[in-house]
Amino acid sequence: MNVAWWCSSTPGQIWTWRYTPFLGVWVFAASFIGGYLLAHRRAGRAVDGRLLRRWVAGVLALVVVSEWPIGQLGVGYLATVGIARYVVYTFVAAPLLLAGLPEWLVHRWFPATSRRRRVLAAVTTWPIALLLFNAVLFGTHLPVVVDTLKVTQLGSFGVDVLHLGAALIWWWPAMQKVPAENAIEEPLRAFYLFASSVLMFVPAAFLTFSPLPLYGLYELAPPLWLGFDPIRDQQAAGIMMNVIGGFVLWGIIAALFLRWAADREAEDTTARRGRDRATLQRIAALEAEAREPEPRADA
Amino acid sequence: MRAERLTRSTHRPGGSTVAALVLLGLVALACGPASATAISAQGLEPGPDGWRGVPLERERTMPVATLADPDGDAVQLHTAFTGTPTLLFFGYTSCPDICPIHLAAIASAMGTAGVSFEELDVVFVSVDPERDTPERIEEYLANFDRRMVGLHGDLEVVEDALAQLDLGGPVVEGPDPRGEGDLIGHPAQVIGFDADGQALRVWPFGARRSDWIADLPRIVEQWS
Repeated sequence: MNVAWWCSSTPGQIWTWRYTPFLGVWVFAASFIGGYLLAHRRAGRAVDGRLLRRWVAGVLALVVVSEWPIGQLGVGYLATVGIARYVVYTFVAAPLLLAGLPEWLVHRWFPATSRRRRVLAAVTTWPIALLLFNAVLFGTHLPVVVDTLKVTQLGSFGVDVLHLGAALIWWWPAMQKVPAENAIEEPLRAFYLFASSVLMFVPAAFLTFSPLPLYGLYELAPPLWLGFDPIRDQQAAGIMMNVIGGFVLWGIIAALFLRWAADREAEDTTARRGRDRATLQRIAALEAEAREPEPRADA
Repeated sequence: MRAERLTRSTHRPGGSTVAALVLLGLVALACGPASATAISAQGLEPGPDGWRGVPLERERTMPVATLADPDGDAVQLHTAFTGTPTLLFFGYTSCPDICPIHLAAIASAMGTAGVSFEELDVVFVSVDPERDTPERIEEYLANFDRRMVGLHGDLEVVEDALAQLDLGGPVVEGPDPRGEGDLIGHPAQVIGFDADGQALRVWPFGARRSDWIADLPRIVEQWS
């Protein structure tokens, strides 16, 4: 059986449905899940099933799009699948991993006074996170970068790590709840996510409207079927980036905004009820006071 | 080669943990078998004259060979395509990579560059007479452009035509991993002839649409 470390484009290699395991994917999946469970065990903490499910779902999403066949198709044959991999890394795996991370574990992996913590604090401030995410998005979709890096397993692995890292950093301020942990609240959060979605239209537009194939590795890859057109594949990739980067992200923005609005309303209601209760108590006290007989003058 | 390169680039002399060594071992172990033929994805480099096609140093002319078109009519290769520049390519319809990539790139680039089939002939000669029937060749070329000319002939005739161009004959390379018979090794370049039948340039595999778009107008302008 042919094995490899990570999916990469191998120009001239004919696509076959013969399974090629990517060992690196399994090593990383095992270390992600093993590390998570081990950290709980070392800290003497019980595993929260809900958080574990999210963490494992995030890891599974990474495995599905990095392992054969999707990993190989996406890196070496179809731009559409390549963009789908990016979308899953960014919009599925990264938020799931963050949602599965208990706060104490963040503090354990990034101790308060450590350099790691300072780096994390610096890169997850929202302007930096926005800048980093888009720098990686633009940089790793440049034709020269794709055609140079994705033809080696190490380069392809590096690009995937960059995508995941940038996505984790980008989601951090939007998903955190504690302001001291760089959390951002509405309406800034809505702007933050919206700005990213708008910027994502730029590479998506290049993919959709370029009259020529941008990436040599997809253009020169052995076609999966006769009559396959790399330009149509590229257009589909652009549309996918547009749809996910735009409409789905806007859906997420709307959902987060509505949840924030609902939370606010609930807070207001609680406060109003508190105020109402206090008012009622004051009225009751006044009424009771009014009902009480006047002390007799001769008493 | 690739395994060596990856191993070197990931090795850190200071790192001594078992995990890191295991990881490096896995990288070294796993990377080798995935390597394939070294084809650059970046396209062809433009020469000093701006052409992407590689100029031929030795003079060659359109081979003297009698082949047949899909209707079975005889086609004299050396006379039928004089008067217009011609791109000649030897391939086969079961080819999984080089042939469909070259033909798709040429067909697409001709459309983009506004070069018509009246200005430039594109000729495909089958090196696989056993499998490539006239109907199959016609059906195959229709995937790219029906106006491409598909020719076939006896293997000896095709081999002789290749020899006249100093190109190696077709070689059975072994079974196609897709399970579609045998893979056949054949010249991977497209040969460009001027209107007088002089071979002037070749475009090796790796030529992209952008390369063809750069060269096709020059072919029509300078070789007609």
